[in-house]
Amino acid sequence: MTIISPTMSHPQAENQGSEPAPASPPMRVAIIGAGRGGMALLDVLHQISRIQIVGITDQNPLAPGLTRAQELHVPVYDRVTDLITHQGLNLVIDVTGDPAMESVLREEVPAGADVVNGQTARLLWVLVQHESTLQTELLHAEKLAGIGSFAAGIAHDMNNPLQLILGLAENLTDETDLEAVHLQAHDIIEAVKRTTAICRDLTSYSRRSSLRQDCLIGVSGKLDEALKIARYAVALQDIDIRKLYQPDVVVKGNPDELLHVFVNLITNAVQAMDHHGTLTLETHAMADATQIRVSDTGSGIAPELLGRIFEPFFTTKPPGKGTGLGLYNIKNVIHHMNGTIGVDSQIGRGSTFTLTFPGESGADERTTSS
Amino acid sequence: MSEFKSGFFVGGESCNGRVLVVDDEPDIRKVVRMTLQKAGYDVLEAENGEKAIETINYGENRLLLDVMICDIRMPKVNGIEAIAYFRQNYPRVPLIVLTGFPDTDMATALLRQGVVDYLVKPVEGEKLKASVARAMEQRELAHL
Repeated sequence: MTIISPTMSHPQAENQGSEPAPASPPMRVAIIGAGRGGMALLDVLHQISRIQIVGITDQNPLAPGLTRAQELHVPVYDRVTDLITHQGLNLVIDVTGDPAMESVLREEVPAGADVVNGQTARLLWVLVQHESTLQTELLHAEKLAGIGSFAAGIAHDMNNPLQLILGLAENLTDETDLEAVHLQAHDIIEAVKRTTAICRDLTSYSRRSSLRQDCLIGVSGKLDEALKIARYAVALQDIDIRKLYQPDVVVKGNPDELLHVFVNLITNAVQAMDHHGTLTLETHAMADATQIRVSDTGSGIAPELLGRIFEPFFTTKPPGKGTGLGLYNIKNVIHHMNGTIGVDSQIGRGSTFTLTFPGESGADERTTSS
Repeated sequence: MSEFKSGFFVGGESCNGRVLVVDDEPDIRKVVRMTLQKAGYDVLEAENGEKAIETINYGENRLLLDVMICDIRMPKVNGIEAIAYFRQNYPRVPLIVLTGFPDTDMATALLRQGVVDYLVKPVEGEKLKASVARAMEQRELAHL
Protein backbone atom coordinates (compact mmCIF):
# COMPACT_ATOMS: atom_id res chain seq x y z
CA MET A 1 0.00 0.00 0.00
CA THR A 2 1.37 3.38 -0.94
CA ILE A 3 0.49 6.84 0.20
CA ILE A 4 2.08 10.12 -0.63
CA SER A 5 1.63 13.23 1.43
CA PRO A 6 -0.28 15.75 -0.65
CA THR A 7 1.31 18.88 -2.00
CA MET A 8 0.04 21.24 -4.61
CA SER A 9 3.18 21.07 -6.65
CA HIS A 10 2.53 17.46 -7.46
CA PRO A 11 -1.16 16.94 -7.96
CA GLN A 12 -0.43 13.57 -9.54
CA ALA A 13 0.86 12.41 -6.18
CA GLU A 14 -2.55 12.87 -4.61
CA ASN A 15 -4.09 10.39 -7.01
CA GLN A 16 -2.03 7.59 -5.48
CA GLY A 17 -2.75 8.56 -1.91
CA SER A 18 -5.28 7.00 0.37
CA GLU A 19 -5.72 10.28 2.24
CA PRO A 20 -9.22 11.63 1.70
CA ALA A 21 -9.29 14.13 -1.14
CA PRO A 22 -10.62 17.59 -0.31
CA ALA A 23 -14.40 17.62 -0.72
CA SER A 24 -14.33 20.79 -2.84
CA PRO A 25 -11.87 21.79 -5.57
CA PRO A 26 -8.84 23.74 -4.34
CA MET A 27 -9.10 27.49 -3.85
CA ARG A 28 -7.28 29.19 -6.73
CA VAL A 29 -5.18 32.06 -5.48
CA ALA A 30 -3.08 34.74 -7.23
CA ILE A 31 -0.37 36.64 -5.34
CA ILE A 32 0.57 40.18 -6.33
CA GLY A 33 3.86 41.31 -4.86
CA ALA A 34 6.86 38.99 -4.52
CA GLY A 35 8.87 40.80 -1.85
CA ARG A 36 9.25 39.39 1.64
CA GLY A 37 5.48 39.37 2.22
CA GLY A 38 4.61 37.70 -1.05
CA MET A 39 7.36 35.12 -0.65
CA ALA A 40 6.27 34.25 2.91
CA LEU A 41 2.69 33.78 1.70
CA LEU A 42 3.87 31.68 -1.21
CA ASP A 43 5.95 29.44 1.06
CA VAL A 44 3.12 28.68 3.46
CA LEU A 45 0.15 28.59 1.07
CA HIS A 46 1.99 26.33 -1.35
CA GLN A 47 2.16 23.63 1.36
CA ILE A 48 -1.61 23.54 1.81
CA SER A 49 -3.31 21.00 -0.41
CA ARG A 50 -6.60 22.91 -0.54
CA ILE A 51 -4.97 25.98 -2.03
CA GLN A 52 -3.62 26.19 -5.55
CA ILE A 53 -1.43 29.17 -6.35
CA VAL A 54 -2.14 29.97 -9.98
CA GLY A 55 0.63 32.52 -10.22
CA ILE A 56 2.61 35.37 -8.75
CA THR A 57 3.78 38.69 -10.15
CA ASP A 58 5.88 41.70 -9.21
CA GLN A 59 6.97 44.89 -10.94
CA ASN A 60 10.52 44.14 -9.89
CA PRO A 61 11.79 41.16 -11.93
CA LEU A 62 14.46 40.54 -9.24
CA ALA A 63 11.95 40.22 -6.38
CA PRO A 64 12.99 37.21 -4.23
CA GLY A 65 9.49 35.70 -4.35
CA LEU A 66 9.76 35.27 -8.11
CA THR A 67 12.89 33.14 -7.79
CA ARG A 68 11.21 31.11 -5.07
CA ALA A 69 8.13 30.66 -7.27
CA GLN A 70 10.31 29.25 -10.05
CA GLU A 71 11.83 26.79 -7.60
CA LEU A 72 8.35 25.73 -6.52
CA HIS A 73 7.16 25.54 -10.14
CA VAL A 74 4.56 28.25 -9.52
CA PRO A 75 3.90 30.30 -12.69
CA VAL A 76 5.45 33.77 -12.72
CA TYR A 77 3.52 36.48 -14.64
CA ASP A 78 5.02 39.63 -16.13
CA ARG A 79 1.73 41.52 -16.21
CA VAL A 80 -0.78 41.84 -13.39
CA THR A 81 -3.73 41.83 -15.79
CA ASP A 82 -2.68 38.47 -17.26
CA LEU A 83 -2.60 36.95 -13.80
CA ILE A 84 -5.83 38.33 -12.42
CA THR A 85 -7.85 37.38 -15.46
CA HIS A 86 -6.79 33.76 -14.98
CA GLN A 87 -9.79 31.53 -15.48
CA GLY A 88 -11.47 30.21 -12.36
CA LEU A 89 -9.60 32.49 -10.01
CA ASN A 90 -11.10 32.62 -6.49
CA LEU A 91 -8.88 35.06 -4.64
CA VAL A 92 -6.31 37.76 -5.36
CA ILE A 93 -3.93 38.60 -2.53
CA ASP A 94 -2.26 41.96 -3.04
CA VAL A 95 0.65 42.55 -0.71
CA THR A 96 2.13 45.50 -2.59
CA GLY A 97 0.48 48.10 -0.32
CA ASP A 98 0.24 50.28 -3.43
CA PRO A 99 -2.98 52.43 -3.71
CA ALA A 100 -2.63 52.47 -7.50
CA MET A 101 -2.73 48.68 -7.53
CA GLU A 102 -5.95 48.78 -5.53
CA SER A 103 -7.72 50.74 -8.23
CA VAL A 104 -6.38 48.46 -10.98
CA LEU A 105 -7.68 45.43 -9.13
CA ARG A 106 -11.06 47.05 -8.49
CA GLU A 107 -11.48 47.44 -12.24
CA GLU A 108 -9.82 44.34 -13.61
CA VAL A 109 -10.54 41.47 -11.22
CA PRO A 110 -13.39 39.43 -12.70
CA ALA A 111 -16.61 38.96 -10.82
CA GLY A 112 -16.54 35.89 -8.61
CA ALA A 113 -13.01 36.50 -7.38
CA ASP A 114 -12.36 38.25 -4.09
CA VAL A 115 -9.51 40.63 -3.36
CA VAL A 116 -7.53 40.82 -0.15
CA ASN A 117 -5.36 43.91 0.14
CA GLY A 118 -4.42 46.84 2.39
CA GLN A 119 -4.49 46.12 6.13
CA THR A 120 -6.21 42.77 5.58
CA ALA A 121 -3.35 41.58 3.39
CA ARG A 122 -0.93 42.89 6.01
CA LEU A 123 -2.73 40.90 8.72
CA LEU A 124 -2.52 37.80 6.51
CA TRP A 125 1.22 38.33 6.14
CA VAL A 126 1.64 38.65 9.92
CA LEU A 127 -0.31 35.41 10.44
CA VAL A 128 1.76 33.65 7.81
CA GLN A 129 5.00 34.81 9.44
CA HIS A 130 3.64 33.54 12.75
CA GLU A 131 2.84 30.15 11.19
CA SER A 132 6.29 30.00 9.66
CA THR A 133 7.94 30.75 13.03
CA LEU A 134 5.77 28.10 14.70
CA GLN A 135 6.85 25.48 12.15
CA THR A 136 10.51 26.28 12.82
CA GLU A 137 9.97 26.19 16.59
CA LEU A 138 8.08 22.90 16.33
CA LEU A 139 10.91 21.35 14.34
CA HIS A 140 13.45 22.45 16.92
CA ALA A 141 11.29 21.35 19.88
CA GLU A 142 10.76 17.93 18.36
CA LYS A 143 14.49 17.62 17.64
CA LEU A 144 15.34 18.44 21.25
CA ALA A 145 12.69 16.00 22.51
CA GLY A 146 14.31 13.31 20.36
CA ILE A 147 17.74 14.01 21.79
CA GLY A 148 16.39 12.79 25.15
CA SER A 149 16.39 9.30 23.68
CA PHE A 150 20.10 9.61 22.88
CA ALA A 151 21.08 9.26 26.56
CA ALA A 152 21.85 5.52 26.47
CA GLY A 153 23.82 5.79 23.25
CA ILE A 154 25.79 8.83 24.40
CA ALA A 155 26.54 7.23 27.77
CA HIS A 156 27.79 4.09 26.02
CA ASP A 157 29.98 6.00 23.56
CA MET A 158 31.40 8.43 26.12
CA ASN A 159 31.93 6.02 29.00
CA ASN A 160 33.82 3.45 26.96
CA PRO A 161 36.67 5.82 26.04
CA LEU A 162 36.54 7.25 29.57
CA GLN A 163 37.04 3.73 30.94
CA LEU A 164 40.06 3.33 28.67
CA ILE A 165 41.48 6.69 29.75
CA LEU A 166 40.98 5.93 33.44
CA GLY A 167 42.39 2.42 33.18
CA LEU A 168 45.47 3.52 31.24
CA ALA A 169 46.10 6.52 33.50
CA GLU A 170 45.92 4.28 36.58
CA ASN A 171 48.36 1.90 34.94
CA LEU A 172 50.73 4.74 34.03
CA THR A 173 51.12 5.71 37.68
CA ASP A 174 53.46 2.77 38.16
CA GLU A 175 54.41 1.78 34.61
CA THR A 176 58.17 1.57 34.26
CA ASP A 177 58.48 0.45 30.65
CA LEU A 178 59.03 3.69 28.72
CA GLU A 179 57.75 2.24 25.45
CA ALA A 180 54.52 1.15 27.16
CA VAL A 181 54.17 4.64 28.64
CA HIS A 182 54.40 6.18 25.19
CA LEU A 183 51.90 3.76 23.66
CA GLN A 184 49.40 4.20 26.46
CA ALA A 185 49.70 8.00 26.42
CA HIS A 186 48.97 7.83 22.69
CA ASP A 187 45.90 5.64 23.35
CA ILE A 188 44.67 8.19 25.91
CA ILE A 189 44.99 11.01 23.39
CA GLU A 190 43.03 9.02 20.79
CA ALA A 191 40.32 8.20 23.35
CA VAL A 192 39.98 11.90 24.27
CA LYS A 193 39.62 12.73 20.57
CA ARG A 194 36.83 10.15 20.23
CA THR A 195 35.00 11.62 23.20
CA THR A 196 35.23 15.18 21.93
CA ALA A 197 34.00 14.07 18.50
CA ILE A 198 30.79 12.82 20.15
CA CYS A 199 30.24 16.21 21.80
CA ARG A 200 30.96 17.99 18.54
CA ASP A 201 28.48 15.86 16.54
CA LEU A 202 25.73 16.32 19.08
CA THR A 203 26.12 20.03 19.68
CA SER A 204 26.14 20.53 15.93
CA TYR A 205 22.98 18.46 15.57
CA SER A 206 21.09 20.04 18.48
CA ARG A 207 21.63 23.63 17.38
CA ARG A 208 18.76 25.56 15.92
CA SER A 209 18.53 25.14 12.14
CA SER A 210 20.57 27.80 10.51
CA LEU A 211 18.73 30.58 8.72
CA ARG A 212 21.22 30.60 5.90
CA GLN A 213 20.02 30.45 2.35
CA ASP A 214 19.11 27.07 0.95
CA CYS A 215 22.06 25.41 -0.74
CA LEU A 216 22.92 22.26 -2.61
CA ILE A 217 23.41 19.34 -0.25
CA GLY A 218 25.37 16.19 -1.05
CA VAL A 219 22.82 13.52 -0.16
CA SER A 220 25.05 10.53 0.54
CA GLY A 221 27.28 12.55 2.89
CA LYS A 222 24.22 13.78 4.74
CA LEU A 223 22.83 10.22 5.03
CA ASP A 224 26.15 9.03 6.51
CA GLU A 225 26.13 11.93 8.95
CA ALA A 226 22.57 11.00 9.96
CA LEU A 227 23.65 7.39 10.59
CA LYS A 228 26.29 8.64 13.03
CA ILE A 229 23.68 10.62 14.94
CA ALA A 230 20.93 7.97 14.76
CA ARG A 231 23.16 5.38 16.43
CA TYR A 232 22.84 7.33 19.68
CA ALA A 233 19.05 6.91 19.56
CA VAL A 234 18.86 3.32 18.37
CA ALA A 235 21.16 0.32 18.54
CA LEU A 236 22.55 -0.29 15.06
CA GLN A 237 25.02 -3.03 15.93
CA ASP A 238 22.77 -5.88 14.78
CA ILE A 239 21.28 -4.01 11.82
CA ASP A 240 22.60 -4.84 8.36
CA ILE A 241 23.07 -1.47 6.65
CA ARG A 242 23.00 -1.36 2.83
CA LYS A 243 24.02 1.84 1.11
CA LEU A 244 23.00 2.11 -2.52
CA TYR A 245 24.32 5.57 -3.26
CA GLN A 246 24.50 6.97 -6.73
CA PRO A 247 27.48 9.35 -6.83
CA ASP A 248 27.05 13.13 -6.73
CA VAL A 249 23.34 13.20 -5.95
CA VAL A 250 22.41 16.63 -4.59
CA VAL A 251 19.21 18.34 -3.48
CA LYS A 252 18.56 21.95 -2.63
CA GLY A 253 17.47 22.87 0.87
CA ASN A 254 18.56 23.59 4.41
CA PRO A 255 21.29 21.08 5.38
CA ASP A 256 20.40 21.11 9.10
CA GLU A 257 16.77 20.38 8.36
CA LEU A 258 17.58 17.62 5.88
CA LEU A 259 19.91 16.01 8.44
CA HIS A 260 17.04 16.03 10.93
CA VAL A 261 14.76 14.40 8.34
CA PHE A 262 17.28 11.62 7.70
CA VAL A 263 17.96 11.00 11.42
CA ASN A 264 14.22 10.71 12.02
CA LEU A 265 13.61 8.33 9.11
CA ILE A 266 16.57 6.12 10.07
CA THR A 267 15.54 6.06 13.74
CA ASN A 268 11.96 5.11 12.85
CA ALA A 269 13.20 2.40 10.47
CA VAL A 270 15.47 0.81 13.08
CA GLN A 271 12.80 1.00 15.78
CA ALA A 272 10.39 -0.80 13.42
CA MET A 273 12.89 -3.67 13.11
CA ASP A 274 13.29 -4.39 16.81
CA HIS A 275 17.10 -4.52 16.55
CA HIS A 276 17.34 -7.11 13.74
CA GLY A 277 16.93 -6.54 10.01
CA THR A 278 18.20 -4.63 7.02
CA LEU A 279 18.23 -0.86 6.67
CA THR A 280 18.61 0.27 3.06
CA LEU A 281 19.59 3.83 2.16
CA GLU A 282 19.26 4.58 -1.51
CA THR A 283 19.84 7.67 -3.64
CA HIS A 284 18.80 7.86 -7.23
CA ALA A 285 19.22 10.71 -9.73
CA MET A 286 16.82 10.58 -12.64
CA ALA A 287 16.47 12.89 -15.62
CA ASP A 288 13.84 15.09 -14.02
CA ALA A 289 13.91 14.20 -10.34
CA THR A 290 15.97 12.95 -7.44
CA GLN A 291 14.81 10.17 -5.16
CA ILE A 292 16.01 9.14 -1.73
CA ARG A 293 14.69 5.97 -0.14
CA VAL A 294 14.95 4.73 3.44
CA SER A 295 13.72 1.14 3.74
CA ASP A 296 13.47 -1.29 6.62
CA THR A 297 12.50 -4.93 6.97
CA GLY A 298 10.50 -4.26 10.11
CA SER A 299 6.97 -4.64 11.35
CA GLY A 300 5.33 -2.43 8.70
CA ILE A 301 2.45 0.01 9.19
CA ALA A 302 -1.17 -1.13 9.33
CA PRO A 303 -3.11 0.02 6.24
CA GLU A 304 -5.71 1.81 8.38
CA LEU A 305 -2.96 3.89 10.02
CA LEU A 306 -0.97 4.64 6.87
CA GLY A 307 -3.11 7.63 5.91
CA ARG A 308 -2.62 9.24 9.31
CA ILE A 309 1.12 8.99 9.88
CA PHE A 310 1.86 12.50 8.59
CA GLU A 311 -0.76 14.08 10.86
CA PRO A 312 0.56 16.14 13.76
CA PHE A 313 0.52 14.37 17.15
CA PHE A 314 -0.27 11.00 15.58
CA THR A 315 1.96 8.31 17.09
CA THR A 316 1.80 4.58 17.66
CA LYS A 317 4.60 4.74 20.21
CA PRO A 318 3.80 4.39 23.92
CA PRO A 319 3.22 7.59 25.92
CA GLY A 320 6.45 9.45 26.53
CA LYS A 321 8.24 7.68 23.67
CA GLY A 322 7.13 9.69 20.66
CA THR A 323 5.94 13.24 20.14
CA GLY A 324 3.87 12.42 17.07
CA LEU A 325 5.58 15.32 15.34
CA GLY A 326 8.42 13.49 13.60
CA LEU A 327 6.78 12.67 10.28
CA TYR A 328 4.67 15.83 10.38
CA ASN A 329 7.84 17.93 10.58
CA ILE A 330 9.53 15.80 7.93
CA LYS A 331 6.62 16.41 5.59
CA ASN A 332 6.85 20.17 6.19
CA VAL A 333 10.60 20.23 5.51
CA ILE A 334 10.22 18.17 2.35
CA HIS A 335 7.35 20.30 1.07
CA HIS A 336 9.39 23.41 1.75
CA MET A 337 12.04 21.85 -0.50
CA ASN A 338 9.31 21.36 -3.09
CA GLY A 339 9.53 17.62 -2.65
CA THR A 340 7.08 14.89 -1.77
CA ILE A 341 7.34 12.08 0.75
CA GLY A 342 5.61 8.79 0.13
CA VAL A 343 5.48 5.54 2.04
CA ASP A 344 5.03 1.99 0.91
CA SER A 345 4.43 -0.50 3.68
CA GLN A 346 3.45 -4.10 4.23
CA ILE A 347 2.71 -5.61 7.61
CA GLY A 348 5.48 -7.99 8.60
CA ARG A 349 7.61 -7.09 5.56
CA GLY A 350 8.69 -3.53 6.26
CA SER A 351 8.32 0.03 5.04
CA THR A 352 9.96 2.25 2.45
CA PHE A 353 9.87 6.03 2.71
CA THR A 354 10.58 7.73 -0.61
CA LEU A 355 11.52 11.38 -0.89
CA THR A 356 11.16 12.80 -4.39
CA PHE A 357 12.57 16.15 -5.42
CA PRO A 358 11.82 17.49 -8.87
CA GLY A 359 14.41 19.16 -11.04
CA GLU A 360 17.81 18.26 -12.31
CA SER A 361 20.28 16.71 -9.90
CA GLY A 362 24.02 16.71 -9.85
CA ALA A 363 24.12 19.80 -12.06
CA ASP A 364 26.19 21.61 -9.50
CA GLU A 365 28.96 19.67 -7.84
CA ARG A 366 29.13 22.06 -4.90
CA THR A 367 28.08 19.96 -1.93
CA THR A 368 27.60 20.96 1.64
CA SER A 369 28.62 19.04 4.69
CA SER A 370 28.51 20.44 8.16
CA MET B 1 52.71 -13.89 31.89
CA SER B 2 49.92 -16.10 30.61
CA GLU B 3 49.35 -16.43 26.91
CA PHE B 4 46.03 -16.20 25.16
CA LYS B 5 44.93 -17.09 21.70
CA SER B 6 41.59 -16.09 20.14
CA GLY B 7 40.21 -15.37 23.58
CA PHE B 8 40.93 -18.87 24.86
CA PHE B 9 43.18 -19.64 27.75
CA VAL B 10 46.10 -21.76 26.62
CA GLY B 11 48.59 -21.50 29.38
CA GLY B 12 48.97 -20.06 32.83
CA GLU B 13 50.45 -20.06 36.25
CA SER B 14 49.11 -20.15 39.76
CA CYS B 15 46.72 -17.26 40.09
CA ASN B 16 43.99 -15.67 42.13
CA GLY B 17 41.33 -16.88 39.72
CA ARG B 18 40.13 -16.87 36.15
CA VAL B 19 37.95 -14.05 34.91
CA LEU B 20 36.09 -13.82 31.59
CA VAL B 21 35.57 -10.28 30.29
CA VAL B 22 32.72 -9.93 27.78
CA ASP B 23 32.64 -6.58 25.97
CA ASP B 24 32.41 -5.61 22.31
CA GLU B 25 34.99 -2.85 22.76
CA PRO B 26 38.56 -4.20 22.49
CA ASP B 27 39.77 -1.14 24.46
CA ILE B 28 37.61 -2.06 27.44
CA ARG B 29 38.79 -5.66 27.38
CA LYS B 30 42.35 -4.37 27.20
CA VAL B 31 42.19 -2.13 30.28
CA VAL B 32 40.15 -4.58 32.35
CA ARG B 33 42.69 -7.26 31.49
CA MET B 34 45.52 -4.90 32.39
CA THR B 35 44.00 -4.06 35.77
CA LEU B 36 43.07 -7.61 36.71
CA GLN B 37 46.29 -9.24 35.51
CA LYS B 38 48.24 -6.88 37.74
CA ALA B 39 46.09 -8.13 40.61
CA GLY B 40 47.05 -11.72 39.77
CA TYR B 41 44.01 -12.91 37.83
CA ASP B 42 44.01 -14.85 34.58
CA VAL B 43 41.83 -13.00 32.11
CA LEU B 44 39.89 -14.41 29.18
CA GLU B 45 38.13 -12.22 26.63
CA ALA B 46 34.99 -12.49 24.51
CA GLU B 47 33.58 -9.84 22.20
CA ASN B 48 29.92 -10.74 22.59
CA GLY B 49 27.55 -13.10 24.36
CA GLU B 50 27.84 -15.75 21.66
CA LYS B 51 31.65 -15.83 21.92
CA ALA B 52 31.35 -15.84 25.71
CA ILE B 53 29.19 -18.96 25.58
CA GLU B 54 31.77 -20.61 23.27
CA THR B 55 34.59 -19.61 25.61
CA ILE B 56 32.93 -20.84 28.77
CA ASN B 57 32.14 -24.16 27.11
CA TYR B 58 35.70 -24.57 25.88
CA GLY B 59 37.84 -27.19 27.58
CA GLU B 60 38.60 -26.66 31.20
CA ASN B 61 36.97 -23.23 31.33
CA ARG B 62 33.67 -24.87 32.20
CA LEU B 63 35.23 -25.95 35.50
CA LEU B 64 37.86 -23.32 36.13
CA LEU B 65 36.11 -20.07 35.32
CA ASP B 66 35.62 -18.10 38.52
CA VAL B 67 34.02 -14.79 37.60
CA MET B 68 32.43 -13.16 34.56
CA ILE B 69 32.37 -9.44 33.80
CA CYS B 70 29.76 -8.62 31.20
CA ASP B 71 28.67 -5.52 29.25
CA ILE B 72 24.99 -5.05 28.37
CA ARG B 73 24.89 -3.32 25.00
CA MET B 74 26.60 -5.69 22.59
CA PRO B 75 25.93 -7.11 19.13
CA LYS B 76 24.51 -10.59 18.47
CA VAL B 77 23.72 -12.11 21.86
CA ASN B 78 23.50 -9.01 24.06
CA GLY B 79 24.41 -8.83 27.74
CA ILE B 80 20.87 -9.36 29.03
CA GLU B 81 20.43 -12.53 26.98
CA ALA B 82 23.91 -13.75 27.86
CA ILE B 83 23.39 -13.11 31.58
CA ALA B 84 20.08 -15.01 31.56
CA TYR B 85 21.86 -17.93 29.83
CA PHE B 86 24.76 -17.93 32.27
CA ARG B 87 22.56 -17.64 35.35
CA GLN B 88 20.61 -20.65 34.12
CA ASN B 89 23.47 -22.82 32.90
CA TYR B 90 26.34 -21.74 35.14
CA PRO B 91 24.66 -20.50 38.32
CA ARG B 92 27.88 -21.01 40.26
CA VAL B 93 29.87 -18.48 38.24
CA PRO B 94 29.31 -15.02 39.79
CA LEU B 95 28.52 -12.27 37.32
CA ILE B 96 29.52 -8.63 37.41
CA VAL B 97 27.88 -6.18 35.01
CA LEU B 98 30.14 -3.43 33.65
CA THR B 99 28.09 -1.07 31.55
CA GLY B 100 28.34 2.39 30.02
CA PHE B 101 24.77 3.30 30.91
CA PRO B 102 23.54 3.77 34.48
CA ASP B 103 20.00 2.35 34.49
CA THR B 104 18.54 1.86 37.95
CA ASP B 105 15.65 -0.34 36.80
CA MET B 106 17.95 -2.61 34.85
CA ALA B 107 20.45 -2.73 37.72
CA THR B 108 17.69 -3.79 40.15
CA ALA B 109 16.37 -6.43 37.74
CA LEU B 110 19.86 -7.86 37.17
CA LEU B 111 20.76 -7.88 40.86
CA ARG B 112 17.53 -9.80 41.48
CA GLN B 113 18.69 -12.33 38.87
CA GLY B 114 21.72 -12.92 41.02
CA VAL B 115 24.23 -10.55 39.44
CA VAL B 116 26.84 -9.73 42.09
CA ASP B 117 27.54 -6.15 41.12
CA TYR B 118 26.41 -3.51 38.62
CA LEU B 119 29.33 -1.24 37.79
CA VAL B 120 29.09 1.82 35.58
CA LYS B 121 32.00 2.81 33.35
CA PRO B 122 34.35 4.45 33.98
CA VAL B 123 35.10 2.37 37.04
CA GLU B 124 38.29 2.79 39.03
CA GLY B 125 40.69 -0.13 39.15
CA GLU B 126 40.41 -0.47 42.94
CA LYS B 127 36.64 -0.68 42.76
CA LEU B 128 36.78 -3.24 39.96
CA LYS B 129 39.29 -5.38 41.87
CA ALA B 130 37.20 -5.15 45.06
CA SER B 131 34.14 -6.25 43.12
CA VAL B 132 35.97 -9.20 41.56
CA ALA B 133 37.37 -10.17 45.00
CA ARG B 134 33.86 -10.12 46.44
CA ALA B 135 32.60 -12.25 43.57
CA MET B 136 35.47 -14.71 44.20
CA GLU B 137 34.37 -15.00 47.82
CA GLN B 138 30.83 -15.81 46.73
CA ARG B 139 32.23 -18.42 44.38
CA GLU B 140 34.24 -20.00 47.19
CA LEU B 141 31.28 -19.93 49.56
CA ALA B 142 29.19 -21.69 46.93
CA HIS B 143 31.79 -24.47 46.77
CA LEU B 144 31.63 -25.13 50.52
